[in-house]
Amino acid sequence: MCSTCGCGHPEVPSGTARHPHPEDVRRVAVERSILEENDRHAEALRKRLAERGIEAIGLLGGPGAGKTTLLEATLDHLGAEAASQAAVEGDCAGDLDARRVAARGARVVQVVTGAVCHLDAHLVGHALENLDLAGVSRLWIENVGNLVCPAPFACGETRRALLVSTAEGDDKPEKYPAMIAGADLLAITKIDLLPHVDFDPARCASAARTVKPGLPVIRLSARTGEGMDVWMKWVREGRA
Amino acid sequence: MHEAKICLSLIDLAETHLVRAGGERITAMRLEVGDLCGVIPEALEAAFPICAAGTRAENAALHIDRTSGRRLLLRDMEIL
Repeated sequence: MCSTCGCGHPEVPSGTARHPHPEDVRRVAVERSILEENDRHAEALRKRLAERGIEAIGLLGGPGAGKTTLLEATLDHLGAEAASQAAVEGDCAGDLDARRVAARGARVVQVVTGAVCHLDAHLVGHALENLDLAGVSRLWIENVGNLVCPAPFACGETRRALLVSTAEGDDKPEKYPAMIAGADLLAITKIDLLPHVDFDPARCASAARTVKPGLPVIRLSARTGEGMDVWMKWVREGRA
Repeated sequence: MHEAKICLSLIDLAETHLVRAGGERITAMRLEVGDLCGVIPEALEAAFPICAAGTRAENAALHIDRTSGRRLLLRDMEIL
């Protein structure tokens, strides 16, 4: 009980000469994004890469959507150009993806996130300290396989490709709208499995466009090569 | 569970503005959490007390306005 000033505040020990009273409460307007620090890092990274003529593309999707396989197929399509591609590979453990991508001729750095479920701009920025970017024209940022957590964290990419495989189900855009909202392209992967699964590409595309009108949706199979030309056009020109 | 990281960013941001305003501690914060921002309000509320322990936002009340869209904001706060 505050007996010094007699305000009756129950949490204030007696004898405390100065303590805040309810009437001292002030309201302060902030109106700032909680993610502004990460956004600032991401913007600085984007700028740094742009100054070097490097475009960064984010690859996102759940575990097993086919992100690494698509990157491998992309590097194969690029042929000699693969040497000008760099990649940041995000995984909770191990360097399997980094080794796969390196085997296709790209420069790679693996980010092991441990229990952390996504990459962020700070992690990517530090990862790039271990990557020689001389002669690199495109940086691939393969996020941790996850359809939830990477959504709010910009990583310095200029475009984000979101992958949903036919094996995962056509309901993914309805269930994970935040990932759709941040995507610049939806790639329906493993389209060669379509005869074997109950996946309606039209339903998937329409649900995605309900969240993000006008979102380009492409169908592809890195395994058979179907749709790779449309994908490569998006990679090179930014339109599908 | 990326909400713990979001909470730490929230507390950093709030403490920066607390110091700027010459206050001692934060008693309440009002957030805007959009349905497409990728953050779950309930998970944020669960992580907040743990993240706020020992900071100047300890015991602060969290008021969350749920909106549609991608915004994730600290709108205002009450300070002492």
